[in-house]
Amino acid sequence: MTSTSLRARPVRVTETAATDGRKRRAPLHPYLFIAPFYVLYVLFMLVPIAVAIWLSLCEWVGLGTPHWVGLRNYQHLLTDASFHRALGNTGIYVLVSLLVIVPAALFVAQAINARGVRARDLWRTAYFVPIVVSPIVVALIFGLIFDQQFGLLNSLLRALFGTGSVDWLGDPTLSKVAISLVMVWRWTGYLTIFFLAGLQNVPRELYEAAAIDGAGRVRTFVTVTLPSLKPVTAFVAVTSFIGAAQIFDEPYLLTGGGPAEATLSVAMFIYRAAFERQQFGYAAAAGVVLFVVVFTLSRIFNRLLGIGRTQ
Amino acid sequence: MSAPVNVTVLRRPLLYTTLGVLLLAFTAPLLWAVSGSFKRRGDIFGYPPKLIPSPATLANFRSLLTEQPFGRWFLMSAVVALLATVVSVFVCALAGYGFAKFRFAGKRFLFGVMFSSLSIPFAVILVPLFVILVKTGLGSPWFALIVPWVAPAFGIFMMQQYIVQSVPDEILEAARIDGASEFGIFRRVVLPLLRPSLGALGVWQFLQSYNSFLWPLVLVSDSSQYTLPLGLQTLFRAENRQYDLVLAGSVLAVLPAVLVFVLLRKQLLEGLSTGAVKG
Repeated sequence: MTSTSLRARPVRVTETAATDGRKRRAPLHPYLFIAPFYVLYVLFMLVPIAVAIWLSLCEWVGLGTPHWVGLRNYQHLLTDASFHRALGNTGIYVLVSLLVIVPAALFVAQAINARGVRARDLWRTAYFVPIVVSPIVVALIFGLIFDQQFGLLNSLLRALFGTGSVDWLGDPTLSKVAISLVMVWRWTGYLTIFFLAGLQNVPRELYEAAAIDGAGRVRTFVTVTLPSLKPVTAFVAVTSFIGAAQIFDEPYLLTGGGPAEATLSVAMFIYRAAFERQQFGYAAAAGVVLFVVVFTLSRIFNRLLGIGRTQ
Repeated sequence: MSAPVNVTVLRRPLLYTTLGVLLLAFTAPLLWAVSGSFKRRGDIFGYPPKLIPSPATLANFRSLLTEQPFGRWFLMSAVVALLATVVSVFVCALAGYGFAKFRFAGKRFLFGVMFSSLSIPFAVILVPLFVILVKTGLGSPWFALIVPWVAPAFGIFMMQQYIVQSVPDEILEAARIDGASEFGIFRRVVLPLLRPSLGALGVWQFLQSYNSFLWPLVLVSDSSQYTLPLGLQTLFRAENRQYDLVLAGSVLAVLPAVLVFVLLRKQLLEGLSTGAVKG
């Protein structure tokens, strides 16, 4: 029966390629199914990355011919204080997302998943809503909430403590806190969904065994829950790392990167260089640096945590 | 979905308090915006803040719809998002099926390439993609807001996982014995089986496109082709911030997204996590 050759059997792909010679049909259709993706991938991913690398070695204002300058853009980046601030701030956003948002999402998922909780679907849905809302709307609303004079947050502080005219968006440290709070608000519920699904897939027997062994809450969590959640945690960690590494909307809309670049992110740095100052080569170089860092780190994550295998 | 297990981090009353406080934290900003959209401009920042607007007015919505090109912004966003969604769901299903149900030379490598595109930050291709599209004359919003985004690795991965789990090989074999063509099998047998996860991916893609900001900001210079986020931004950036209009616009802009989400939330929430759990 020739049809068996079309089945996905757990045989190494390379072996089949070698022994397939005697079979009639050299199957072309699998490639046709995945072809549209690769056409788009080449045109809108690989070509742009190649162009980015080439542009990063040029000086170009967007008109005329790009002028080859070798590694000069990269040399400038090494000494550009703005770029260093953008890298540092982006590092902070990444840390917030890995050390605050991911654990918070796990906590929320645990709470929703706890035994006897009613209306689980309601909690899950409600916490997910922030990610459905357009970032511009999020920024608008939080811009009003953080407003120094009239903002809701300061009104609340005034009502509770009698004083409150905190300059949330104008202070270098607090503005980072404000951006981080918005990130927490936006992403926690989204990541909760993944942990919740993971928790529901933990075999009951493991918990029963832990209970028989007399394990307490903490020990059950550490020895049963956490190891079972490894694949989900890996996925969530990598996703939120990549998300936070390219954050743009929140700082752009809430603070414009200010005050004094205290909230500037790398993506915003790239946007400014290219579309406000027409330094396309320089912007491309910053993009390549971001790409190298993100790609390398997420490959390491993938290797360590073991996600992305075919089956 | 298995039954909840016997593990509780918090005691019951504390648990519900926590869930309630979280609910408030996650929804209060939006409720405040909805309430603000019905207030007169001077009342939005009234102290102490009032949740129920009094007097309530529809004036903000009226002037948004009559004095601002809100309808045009919305139409632009909705049409772009719908087109992007339809094409991308199809492309992802095709590729997901290819990876889930066939053996072929180079599969492992090609899958790895596809998967690793997840870790390419958009900010990297922002500048070159803009340059390429503008220089080749493909910078029209109808092309550039849609086509580059219709094959996300995330969607293909999601489809592949779903197909592996829920499309049995036997059905495909039966169709082959009946003499159906490979594409015919995909269209008539596989696609109908995928309906739930196509819905999930569709909602996700719709939201991604409908809410996207940075790419339209870079690409669209003609204000007659502004998408909703760009339009709202002009209200926000205007000389005297029109907070009343901004809030009304935000509420109207979010409404379709939330509606689509609420209608298809079960599929979306389950579909999103399929890949992560088994991954």
